[in-house]
Amino acid sequence: MKRRTFLKGTAAASAAAALAPWARRASAAEEAELYAAAKGEGQVTWYTAHFDTQTAESIGNAFATRYPGIRANVVRTTAQVAFQRLSQDLKTGIAECDVFSSTDLGHYVRLKPMDVFLKYTAPNAAQLLPQFKDIDPDGGYFITSAGLICITYNKDKVKESEAPKNWPDLLDPKWKDQISVGHPGFSGYVGTWVVEMRNLYGWDYFEKLRANEPQVGRSINDTVTMLNSGERSVAAGPEATTLESAARGNPLGVIYPGDGALLMVSPSAVMKNSRRLNAARLFMNFLMSRDASEILVRNFSPAVVPGVGPAPGAKPLAEVKTIRPTAEEITEGIPEVIKRWRDTFGA
Amino acid sequence: MAKLQLSGLGKRFGEVAAVSGVDLSLAAGEFVSLLGPSGCGKTTTLRMIAGFILPSEGSIAMDGAALSTAAGAVPPEKRRMSMIFQSYAIWPNMTVAENVAFGLKLRKLSRGEIAAKVERILGIVQLDRLKDRYPAELSGGQQQRVALARAMVIEPEVLLLDEPLSNLDANLREEMRFEIRRLHDAFRITTVYVTHDQAEAMVTSDRIVVMNQGRIEQVADPFALYNRPRTRFVAGFIGRTNFLEGTLAGGEIGFAGFALRADRFPEFAKLGRRVLFSVRPQSIGLRRALGNGGGWWVEGRVVKRAYLGEYWDYLVAPGAGGPPLRVAAPPGDIFEIEDKVWLEIDPQRVAHINEAS
Amino acid sequence: MTDLLPLRAPARADAALLPLLRRFEPAMLLWLALIALLLFLVVTPLFILVRQSFEAPEGAGYTLANYVTAFADRLHLRALGNSLLLGAGVALLAAIFAVPMAWAVARTDMPGKNLTRLLVLGAFVTPPYLGAIGWILLAGPNAGWLNKLWMAVTGAKAGIVNIFTFPGLILAIAAYSYPYIFVFTSAALELVSSEMEDAAHILGAGGWRTTLKVTLPLVWPAILGGLIITFLEAIALFGTPAIIGLPAHINVVTTQLWQFFEFPVQAEVAAAYAMPLLAVTALLFWVQRKSLGRKGYVSLTGKGGERRLIQLGAWRWALLGYTLIVGGISVLLPFAVLLQAAFSRAWGRGMSLANLTLRNFEYVLFVHNTAGQSIVHSFVYAAATASLAILLALAIAYIVSRRLVPMARALAFLCVAPFVIPGIVLAIGFYSAYAAPPVALYGTAALIILAFTTRFLPIAYTSCEAAMRSLNPEMEDAARIVGGGRFIALSRIVMPLLRKSIIAAWILVFIPATRELSAAIFLTAPNTQVMSVVLFDLSSEGNFEYLAALGGVLLVATVILVAVSFRLVGRDFMLRRS
Repeated sequence: MKRRTFLKGTAAASAAAALAPWARRASAAEEAELYAAAKGEGQVTWYTAHFDTQTAESIGNAFATRYPGIRANVVRTTAQVAFQRLSQDLKTGIAECDVFSSTDLGHYVRLKPMDVFLKYTAPNAAQLLPQFKDIDPDGGYFITSAGLICITYNKDKVKESEAPKNWPDLLDPKWKDQISVGHPGFSGYVGTWVVEMRNLYGWDYFEKLRANEPQVGRSINDTVTMLNSGERSVAAGPEATTLESAARGNPLGVIYPGDGALLMVSPSAVMKNSRRLNAARLFMNFLMSRDASEILVRNFSPAVVPGVGPAPGAKPLAEVKTIRPTAEEITEGIPEVIKRWRDTFGA
Repeated sequence: MAKLQLSGLGKRFGEVAAVSGVDLSLAAGEFVSLLGPSGCGKTTTLRMIAGFILPSEGSIAMDGAALSTAAGAVPPEKRRMSMIFQSYAIWPNMTVAENVAFGLKLRKLSRGEIAAKVERILGIVQLDRLKDRYPAELSGGQQQRVALARAMVIEPEVLLLDEPLSNLDANLREEMRFEIRRLHDAFRITTVYVTHDQAEAMVTSDRIVVMNQGRIEQVADPFALYNRPRTRFVAGFIGRTNFLEGTLAGGEIGFAGFALRADRFPEFAKLGRRVLFSVRPQSIGLRRALGNGGGWWVEGRVVKRAYLGEYWDYLVAPGAGGPPLRVAAPPGDIFEIEDKVWLEIDPQRVAHINEAS
Repeated sequence: MTDLLPLRAPARADAALLPLLRRFEPAMLLWLALIALLLFLVVTPLFILVRQSFEAPEGAGYTLANYVTAFADRLHLRALGNSLLLGAGVALLAAIFAVPMAWAVARTDMPGKNLTRLLVLGAFVTPPYLGAIGWILLAGPNAGWLNKLWMAVTGAKAGIVNIFTFPGLILAIAAYSYPYIFVFTSAALELVSSEMEDAAHILGAGGWRTTLKVTLPLVWPAILGGLIITFLEAIALFGTPAIIGLPAHINVVTTQLWQFFEFPVQAEVAAAYAMPLLAVTALLFWVQRKSLGRKGYVSLTGKGGERRLIQLGAWRWALLGYTLIVGGISVLLPFAVLLQAAFSRAWGRGMSLANLTLRNFEYVLFVHNTAGQSIVHSFVYAAATASLAILLALAIAYIVSRRLVPMARALAFLCVAPFVIPGIVLAIGFYSAYAAPPVALYGTAALIILAFTTRFLPIAYTSCEAAMRSLNPEMEDAARIVGGGRFIALSRIVMPLLRKSIIAAWILVFIPATRELSAAIFLTAPNTQVMSVVLFDLSSEGNFEYLAALGGVLLVATVILVAVSFRLVGRDFMLRRS
């Protein structure tokens, strides 16, 4: 991560800490005001790719419980579909989406110059964890959820001591025909991971990975399926879904790579053309609340605010070494790596 | 040795005997018809000859070799026979030439030979100009001829025809009857022809097998069949006739309404007490006055009449009562209704039906 | 109102006008309305698609650059080639599956015909992507059940089947496409009179020869129709190529199109890339007409249409065995593994008493917000789609077969063209055209139903066209000559005669509509969610236990629905002759 952003984060964090009590009182008042106005609007529509349907629905329900009188319409799709729908909506002048939550940072970089996001800093934004703060200096979008990409493995087939401990370990020939990954062309998570691996190790990493004949799925969650079936035994997989599957009794384990687990940050934004601006702002605020983070943690994702979590079986985020490409690297890099991936892997 | 021999042939479907006790011998090159009303078992018999149906009893043999018995049968494809179906069964997705060539291709002839034979047979049935047409593009009569050509080109041992003309109109039927007979004479293939139309059978056949309810009523050439019917059914089925039922007593046969002298009848020695005569309408002469010919004379009066151009159809009631008689008279003999007439019956032309046999 | 039937008008009517008015029937208005509907459904999205292929991004005018981007790339071309190869392979394998089974069922004394029909129905109602997932569990190279079994039995180190190959992909698709060929072929075979075969027998052809040289060629149009539909369906499929093709490094047109819509979106390039598929449809249409040509296929006379079953002897069991193998591949084996997952707490743990649970069903039916509702939606939308599609297709087939308007054949082409527009592209076209005002169908069920109708119009049309061809125009003429107008002739004569075919066609559209994915994924809204999308989402989430449970519910519900409609209507959609 770049020094400038880090410093800025620290400064902001300390400022927020200093002002905390006053800030809390002010935010409560603002919240009440928003609620009163939002009740008149009655509903809020949320395009989200951040979670699975179950989690998304839980958040929607929790919002409605906390703010009676406002219904949350949860439209859960993959990031690409969400983005395509939003684009179409914008093109045809439909104002259906109130809050837009995509897992692909690049979407926001592209949409922001089109001036479609409301510049709104919700009160709860102040309490975001340091690594999630200030993704957009202009306050158009904020991180409301995160995920980690780690090395995952099937416990029945691989002992923990033998499992790969960092990313280059996956290149060891002993893992030939044993690895499962997703496809950068179909998954923002995988795309981001590929960009970061290229940053750290060059494209050579993937030439060597190819030699190990990994199973290439679509979504990063396909790794869970592959490990569960025993079809493959190690993967570059999502911490959240893997832990959830393990909690159900499946023989899955997570290794936090020594050279860094990939931190995926997923932003949300309020749409400027929303017809329900108050409800939208209220919802945006809610996404960064403790209540929301508790739901995240219950569903095995990391919390975005302090004092919540970690998820069962997960390491606390503060203890994990994380790596992450910048927004520009993601935006430029993903289309590039998709192309190179297809050249290397053939599809 | 008979070309085709059916011995005691029978077929039962469940409780019903569709065919029973059929004995028939066909000589090589003979044209035989199976004639009868629907349900008489003629088609079942034909299909047993073809090998599509296994007989329940009896056997079929060709040139002395057994083809079908109740135990088993040679399959149709190995019998070296040919069949023409009521629906022609020409394959609509093949041209005329391809239809006809089918059987030849199976016999592994060379392409040149096949082409030559196809050409030849199509010329004979007068379809050579149409050889590349598809059946949907042909008329009914033309399709009929394709079926004929296809059946005959492979030079079968026996040709079987299942009511092939029933789908054609009357004129075409007449034309095709002669055509079929002509082809038969040209190639001399042993032929079995199934029909319900007696005119067809009469025109085409060397012998006719009249069937009724699964049994053979009579086997004879057309002339004998017509003039000497053995059973009431045959007499009534072939052509029109008058049935005279009477009793022989004291040298006279008494009918309802008149009596005839028994000694005038050539075979009167064979007459039993009950007598059944079959008298064809054209065997009865219609006279204005009693003549002195050696035949039988019955007095009567004209009850009904119809003019058919080629002849008059009169219904004459005997003077003393009894059922009326049908009489066919030449077009010039005009009688009015209620006219008193004399019927002159030629005993030579009366058929005696011995119902006991 | 002016009298529209000038035949009753006095003889002084204008001499020039009379012939023109004579030709005008009230029915014409309906024909025009239907044609307009067809234009709305098919031409507009097509037009938008074509226009989009020439548009520069961000509305900056027109350009040919999209075509260059689409086709100057080696990988894109390879995907196109893969699609065509896939289509051909699937069509061929599906025919190999279907034709012997259809022949066995329609013309022989093979036992277990009802079982066979049930297996075909099972393959038909199964969403292909569900079957594909089942097949991954069966034939994954390392952990597939079949491979594990092989390794256990023979002690080998590696398995023998790998679903992640081109042949594996073909198998996974053909196993669920073959029912089309089966239904068309068996229906046609039932119309072939046994005398056609008798004629061949008596000329010297044995049983097998007759079947190959006479019986099957007679039903070639049906087989060809089935092959074409299977080919087109295979190249427009998204789910299975995504699940099985990608890991096998096989990219096809649909997965490539999906990537064009990945960020950054290149919708215009996608439109250009979809163009060859339209050309393929036109080509296949032309090929079909050419190959059928002047030949007739229906039997010529009405008589002698009896159909006798061929006695097969010991071969009956061989055929039954073949049927069971095909049924096993498409239905029995994948269902078994899916069943195991549906009842498992954690399907990776394998089969054990401790692992059994009903929780998955409880979740998908009651807890999950949209799953339960989506089941109802799927069936309602599918029913509406089928009804609308059949109505339209029947009307158009009638117009075309009776040549009521000029350029009738162009109408037929329009009816068939949508089949090869990949679902997602069609959906986007529809969305662009109709979601916004003035039509404003966004978020409505109507948008989905209209898109689905367009998508399935080709199947509806092919079935209705076949039905029309078997109908003798004289039947209507008989009604019209005694004074009924065309409407009366249609409603009282044509429809009742075609009732069986219409119902069969309806079901043939209804079932795929319940499991349609690629078009739905883009058009559904929170209150109009359908089951296929929910299933797909669950698969993207790796939530396999729930997926299997929901898939199971879908299958059971479909089968029940179909069985009920059989009872109600008293007909068999497989067109068995009573």
